Amino acid sequence: MSKTSFRIFAAALCGSLLASAALAQAAPADTKASVEPEESDTLTIDPPKPTWFFVDGGWDMPGTSIFDGESGKMKGMVETRRLADMAIDPAGKYYYVAETIWSKNDRGTRQDMVTVYDSKTLNLVTEIAMPGRLLIGSRKNNFIISDDGKTGYVYDFSPTSGVNIVDLAKRKLITAIELPGCASLMPNPGVGFSALCSDGSIATVAIKGTKADITHTAPFFAASDDPIFDNFAYDRIKKQTTFLTYTGQIYTAKISATPTVSAPFSIQAAAGIRVGDAKPLDVNWYPGGRQPMALHRATGMLFVLMHKGEYWSHKASGDEVWQVDVAAQKVVKRFVLEEPMNNIEVSQTDKPLLYMNGEKGEVHVMDVATGEEKHKIEKAGGGIITVLEPS
Amino acid sequence: MKKFNADSMGEKLLRKFAGASSRRSMLSRLGAALVAAPVFPLLPVSRAEAAKPDRSPETKTFFARTAQTKDDSKCDYWRYCAIDGALCTCCGGGIHSCPPGAEPSPVSWVGTCINPDDGKAYLIAYRDCCGKPACGQCGCDNTDRETQLYVPQLNNDVIWCFGTSSMDYHCSTAVLVGAAS
Repeated sequence: MSKTSFRIFAAALCGSLLASAALAQAAPADTKASVEPEESDTLTIDPPKPTWFFVDGGWDMPGTSIFDGESGKMKGMVETRRLADMAIDPAGKYYYVAETIWSKNDRGTRQDMVTVYDSKTLNLVTEIAMPGRLLIGSRKNNFIISDDGKTGYVYDFSPTSGVNIVDLAKRKLITAIELPGCASLMPNPGVGFSALCSDGSIATVAIKGTKADITHTAPFFAASDDPIFDNFAYDRIKKQTTFLTYTGQIYTAKISATPTVSAPFSIQAAAGIRVGDAKPLDVNWYPGGRQPMALHRATGMLFVLMHKGEYWSHKASGDEVWQVDVAAQKVVKRFVLEEPMNNIEVSQTDKPLLYMNGEKGEVHVMDVATGEEKHKIEKAGGGIITVLEPS
Repeated sequence: MKKFNADSMGEKLLRKFAGASSRRSMLSRLGAALVAAPVFPLLPVSRAEAAKPDRSPETKTFFARTAQTKDDSKCDYWRYCAIDGALCTCCGGGIHSCPPGAEPSPVSWVGTCINPDDGKAYLIAYRDCCGKPACGQCGCDNTDRETQLYVPQLNNDVIWCFGTSSMDYHCSTAVLVGAAS
């Protein structure tokens, strides 16, 4: 360091110390501040709580930020790269991230893995290598964990469609299976997993060791003409999946070795308005967004982002949230939003909170009971939102 | 009545790929995947249906009613009816050309778009240009007949940079494959 630059540095240091002193004087709480030198350290956090939500930074921002819905305060961050998929260990001990990196940043040798983080320290525990995974982002059902927390299923498309099955207890790949024509996974306890297929069926993949036996339900939806949103919701306690289609049809499916699907009902009819359909030139309320629905498992209430428009507007952000009592097939409440929202999730608590974000990456926390906005968190992230699910 | 036919779309696209690309092994894997997929049964009944498709629903979507044919650097250019991403025409590339140094993906998602000048339907392959960071210019997300991940060839969120030297997504092109039958 030259003399001149040293003087500049010393002056700057002096300035910042004086500024600190001025600040200390301004803040009464610091008037009795200890003069003992401090050590840098690192905090730990609790295991995931039902009031917490996890916001993926989306395309524009790496990392998945952890917030407490009650306080609106950030608790920490899980390292997720662009297009990574995060899943929470049902026992709350780990965060799992299915991700892809290259040896030279964006080129070189490709490495696909499930990365394991300790939920208290948020430190890296280990990496579980696997043959590949699909790069897509904003999908909740491309990396799922079995209800017992022992097995991870990672969707792959290379571009043949398949699933990597990962032993999370032994931390190794069990097998990679082909799954032609199907994607969007849901757990199937004691069997393996199930998936939605392009023929309008549910495929069930029974896993025995490294062998997979694939069966299909009868087709029940029109995969090209009225698709089911692939960010559907699975309930671990009821072993039931709730599906929503572009036109607004809602199905439930009991998940077993031979899944059974309910007759659907229309969300618009449940609100007392004309049923949504796929015809052109028909302006109606339609569901839309990247994560357009959230299920409160304990009460069976489905929260759906709805917008007014024409068919094939399924990515449009919602101007309202419709609260659907799925069992009663009724829309029990419509919340008008201040600004359009693209992703929605709900806390699985007795007093549910809605978590929503839009293109700006600002998260809005809304109390379902009152419809009031509790928090607005800027730059929280624009990607999908995850909560701890009951199990 | 089927509003559009994924079977004939996929078949035509695969034939085009088979004739145009040298990446045989990767494409044959894709072919196997698509042929195996239940949406591609290629049954005689599907082909009969494809012979006389009713295109009127496609011409009446909001996008088709407002599309234009003059400026391919705008989201409402007619070929972009199902595009998602940065337009390569705004990133130093062209409608079917990657910007300098970027590499076109040999596979893609597809759309059937209506040209408002002649009212006819055309098959469009939305090939990604790969190997550079996201361009970020002219971001569009049009969704006519865009489906979910279990019909991947009609989903516009997938990063399609398969078989390229880098999977970094740069921008999207809209390549005219031919008239939709």
